[in-house]
Amino acid sequence: MKWVAAVVMLALAATAFLLPEPNQAQHGENPATEPPPVAICPIVATANRATSVSVLSSVNGEGRLSTFSTGEESGALEFRTGDSGAITIQATDAGAAGISGGLIEMPSDITAAAVALTGQGVMAAESCVDIPAGEAFLAGGSTASGAMFEVQLMNPYAGEAVLDFTVTTDAGIESDDRFDSVVVPALSSYTLDMNQIIPGRQEISVNIEVTSGSALVVGRQTLNGRVAMWRAVPAAQEWWLPIPAGEGPKELLLATPTNSEIEYQIDHFSNTGGLLESYASGVLPPRGVLRLALSDVTLETAAVRVVATGPLVPTLWIDSPTGLALTTASPLDAPLWLLPGAQAPAGGTGTVVILNTGLEEISVDVRSLQETALTRSVVLPAGAVAEVDLVAADGYRIEASGPVVALWSSSLAGQGSVAMGIPVQDG
Amino acid sequence: MSSTTPQVADTEATEETLDAPRVRVVISVVGDADLDAALAVVRRQVYEPEPDIVVVGGGADGVASIVSLEEAISSTDSDVDYLWLLHSDARPRPDALSALVAESERNEASLAGSKLLKAGTMDELESVGGATDVFGEPYSGLDEGEIDLQQYDVVREVAFVQSASMLVRRDLAQGLRGLDPLLPPVAAGLDFSQRTRLAGGRVISVPSSEVYHQGRCGDRGKGWREQAGRLRAIVTAYTPLTLLWVLPYDFLVSIIDSLGSLLLGRWRPAVRHVYSWAWNIYHLPSTIRQRRRLRSVRAEGDEELFRFQARGSLRLRTVGEELSGRILSVFDDDQALARGSRRVWGSPGIWGAILAAGVVFFAARSIIFGGMPNVGYTFPFEPPSVALARWFGGWNESGLGAGASVHPATGLTGLVSFLWFGAEGAARTLLTLLLSLLGIVGMGRLGGRMGLRGPGRYLAGIVLMAGPGTALLVEAGSWLSLCAAAVLPWAVRACFVHPHEAGRSKMTHGGWALLTGLIVAAFSPVLAIVPLIVVLVWRLLGGDRASFVLGLVVMLGGLVGLGFMMGDPEWLLDPAQRLGVFSDNLWLVLILIAALPMVMVDGRSRLVSMTGGIVALAALAQGRLFDFGPGLEEAVFIAASFGAALVVSGVLDGLSRNVFRLVAVAGGLAIVVTSVAGLSNGRLGLPPGDDNARLAFAATLSEENGPGRILHASLDKSLIPGEVRSGPGFWYRVLDGSGTTLDEVWLPEIRDGDDDLASSLVDIASGAELRPGDRLAPFAVDWVVLEGPEFVLDEVLLAQLDLVPLPLDPTARVYENDRAVVLAGTTSDPWMNHGVGFSGDPVDGQVRLAVNYDDGWQPDPQSDGWWVTIDGSEGEAIWEGDALDTVLAVLTVALAVISSAAIIVGRRIS
Repeated sequence: MKWVAAVVMLALAATAFLLPEPNQAQHGENPATEPPPVAICPIVATANRATSVSVLSSVNGEGRLSTFSTGEESGALEFRTGDSGAITIQATDAGAAGISGGLIEMPSDITAAAVALTGQGVMAAESCVDIPAGEAFLAGGSTASGAMFEVQLMNPYAGEAVLDFTVTTDAGIESDDRFDSVVVPALSSYTLDMNQIIPGRQEISVNIEVTSGSALVVGRQTLNGRVAMWRAVPAAQEWWLPIPAGEGPKELLLATPTNSEIEYQIDHFSNTGGLLESYASGVLPPRGVLRLALSDVTLETAAVRVVATGPLVPTLWIDSPTGLALTTASPLDAPLWLLPGAQAPAGGTGTVVILNTGLEEISVDVRSLQETALTRSVVLPAGAVAEVDLVAADGYRIEASGPVVALWSSSLAGQGSVAMGIPVQDG
Repeated sequence: MSSTTPQVADTEATEETLDAPRVRVVISVVGDADLDAALAVVRRQVYEPEPDIVVVGGGADGVASIVSLEEAISSTDSDVDYLWLLHSDARPRPDALSALVAESERNEASLAGSKLLKAGTMDELESVGGATDVFGEPYSGLDEGEIDLQQYDVVREVAFVQSASMLVRRDLAQGLRGLDPLLPPVAAGLDFSQRTRLAGGRVISVPSSEVYHQGRCGDRGKGWREQAGRLRAIVTAYTPLTLLWVLPYDFLVSIIDSLGSLLLGRWRPAVRHVYSWAWNIYHLPSTIRQRRRLRSVRAEGDEELFRFQARGSLRLRTVGEELSGRILSVFDDDQALARGSRRVWGSPGIWGAILAAGVVFFAARSIIFGGMPNVGYTFPFEPPSVALARWFGGWNESGLGAGASVHPATGLTGLVSFLWFGAEGAARTLLTLLLSLLGIVGMGRLGGRMGLRGPGRYLAGIVLMAGPGTALLVEAGSWLSLCAAAVLPWAVRACFVHPHEAGRSKMTHGGWALLTGLIVAAFSPVLAIVPLIVVLVWRLLGGDRASFVLGLVVMLGGLVGLGFMMGDPEWLLDPAQRLGVFSDNLWLVLILIAALPMVMVDGRSRLVSMTGGIVALAALAQGRLFDFGPGLEEAVFIAASFGAALVVSGVLDGLSRNVFRLVAVAGGLAIVVTSVAGLSNGRLGLPPGDDNARLAFAATLSEENGPGRILHASLDKSLIPGEVRSGPGFWYRVLDGSGTTLDEVWLPEIRDGDDDLASSLVDIASGAELRPGDRLAPFAVDWVVLEGPEFVLDEVLLAQLDLVPLPLDPTARVYENDRAVVLAGTTSDPWMNHGVGFSGDPVDGQVRLAVNYDDGWQPDPQSDGWWVTIDGSEGEAIWEGDALDTVLAVLTVALAVISSAAIIVGRRIS
């Protein structure tokens, strides 16, 4: 029996040795994450300035606009987008007062919002964002004589956000405690007055790194009474930028947050469908900023594509007789674009600039979102840029048969604004 | 004076006397003893042919004088048959020599010692030969001042005889080169006796040879020189293998003896030990030379010495007797208990218990000084009233609650807490320590019942508690596995009938089997089947004394867990709920190395080792063949440890020069050493931490509504207390905000509320839920705690509006949900949880309870989604459990009472 026992032991040991261990239990698979249907917007509601919020949606649904500034909701307004799927709301109706943030709970997944800042001698627009980036870059600010540069930080969430700023100016990297570990409490808006901290700087770029929580960062530049507003975006290596026609100084600002040289190349698209590859190229120094005068290229409608060996952010800077306007380029192209707030103001003008980024001719429907929708169809050859006039509306929806990039601008009485549309990736 | 009548020798030289062995008397001059008187008594010896006399270390008229004993021995002519080695302070009776020679011849002994009586006393006995322990400590068996009444007058083999008067065969003496000149008399006698025995000779005590001993040669075995001499004697005699464990053991005994003596107010033993070890280190070269000399004449193994040795340490036994005597003397006027304690200290079981206590103290030092950890599957007991109420069909509060049986340990721990005056915290620590102690002792006792006698069976207890399976389970935080492992050997032992107990009442056997089965199953319900399996294997291998019926009775104890297993079959079957422990292949190798060579060894130890080997390897193989739930997982891994412990019991039961045994011993020791490592963290292997303390903010920051629940989530399931559920990209579970208790470790079967929570978490994890606090509010989740590496919930909770992150923990991410509903009642009139129900101010209409719906809630239960609402007019929500659960609980108690009664009645009958 002892030999049988020995054989049994060997067999059992061999079984245990040769068999693989059972698989460790696994938890369920990660769900496909999607951003919540919200948008965060900068809001200014003062005695001589007001902000209107435009919401575009693919449905006639309910939404909610709430404003916040000092740790709690200032007020809220529930709305319905109506049959057109679009609505424009005055921020003051949602309790906004002073410089604050707005949170829009959207009625559907395919949705977009933007704000338009208007007032005495003021006109600026910028689209709102759903989820703020963890690291973003803002270039084009100035605190030189006659210029005021503010950076507004908005945190609509339940937890505080902590941000670190790396500020680069013509004087080099700025060192100031106020740029380190900037805390934005929950449901709060906080504004950094750069003129107080670093006055007299001609060229300011700000890299923002969120160390905890989440916050939206927007820049507001005032130049001789005119205001432009644009938001910080993550740096990338490929960008598209349609450029509206018009006279006056029009510049392409290239800036990088990285501490190394970056080679860049600019391809130029004309309104006739001509593509001039490598129209300009060069090297961007570490944390450098470069301004290219677009007016020297053409006064017509055009577009550029910027490709670089490292992350950078191109910004369109227009300081023309029709106003001061800034906006960042788009890293994406898509067949469907929403342009909340895009319109021709009463007594003013408005246009949308559309670039066909594809290799084939496409047709583009430009539809105004208002009670009586107007649709214009445009055929765009490959690489062509077209500029379409806008009418009064709550916003526009651009639907194309191929990938496009859309930007809109408007002007009124010497004031102007320009803003990139919002691409809908899965529309 | 002894009443022994001296024999009268015939003075005429007969033919017989001419053939009598020739003897040379070697008198060693000691101290200031009167040599002339010694010579005179030797010359009066009635022995023919007249012995030749030489004196060592002195001179006298008419006798030869020699410088050293060695020279005296080596110079002895070959026609001399015996040497009578005598001290000059010895006064032998006239017939002492003839008696020594006669008995040596008759018993074919090589060494014979006289009965020594203290000179100047009324025949007070000094030595009749004696035994020793393994450390050479002499044990005469004589009481202090014991008078010679011929009570020891029988010739017998002894471990040693004293050198004051010993007769040794001349050829052997020359081969062994006589007494070790460095040793004092008693140690010299011991050393010479041991060498004689190892050379193949017999050592006997001859009481008819009476010698009065003045004791001028030394201090009668006491003093540091004697102690040092004994150490030298064992170092000279034992094989290297024996020395490998004897010397460390002796060193340990020296320390304990010193400490014990200090407690008794004696400091000299400590100094003696220091001198003894120092002296031996100084004389180590000469000791090594002595070993070399012995090697040339060695004919026997150490077992020949072990045959005449007492178990354990005589020194410790003495100290233990004195200590216990002092303590008992407070209550014990007539010293009856103290006399009993002497027998107690001679029991291997007591020494096993002391070893167990030492191991447990070392292994549980952090628990003793710092308290029990609260982590993994180890959590405090509920107050006894709550625990017992839950056990008797009460509400199971784990997770979102259910009308399902709680783990059977809840009832047992409730009972223990109740018996410990309701102090559940102290009861928990005490139970842990006590069971750990019982586990080690139980393994020793089981080994004894299986027929083992060596000390290794107690070392096997360490393997049981921290062997190949238990260590893994306990490291994962399974306190129940630790307890179950500790009780298992007692349950197996209950299936074995000791030969001395064979006539005892079957009721007693059955009672023990049922009671131990109930306790084992209370900690690990499936484990109750293991004793039957052990009996089966044992019997198949030809073992006896094991009863299948008793194995079945133990298994009947599994009834205690029936309700729990029926209520949550996934606990048995769902691999996702496993603790996720896997045994290392090293254990397979070690068990094989220890168990396989035992095939070539005869005796009970082989049977025990092979039974253990089969059980351990079958359990480890089982762990890989089948994928099952945590209930089977813990039983399989505990069985693996138990089997390994049996292997160790068998292989360490004895030592021999058998090469197979040596290999097995090496394997067994490797298993022990590897197991000890598992106990080294000071918490009996349990992981560190106190999750209840970490999450105490939930109770501390709760307002008048009381603490609600905590949603605990992580990528690593081991970071979440108790059983977890699989979520979208993470593990999670709901915890009681007032602290997790043992009964809440296992989650009941999934119900509607659990499904709702799961789907809410899917939505939240997708990022589409802007107000996750609102989604979690109906579940009374006041807090969300994310643990370990960041995962999908960290990402989505960055962008949400109603869960407020708070820096309440240095590692975990904590969110407060101020939208959560109260567990019971309304926000304005919350009802408090009192363990087995809720109560508060009476309110009109229905009151919602945030627990899974069950119609056992009273009064007037109604379903509101997955919630239950009851009539709030009475201000109390009472749970009336399932009758079956209550019946099963009562049945278990009845079985426990019946088994206890059977033990008591059975004992009386027998």
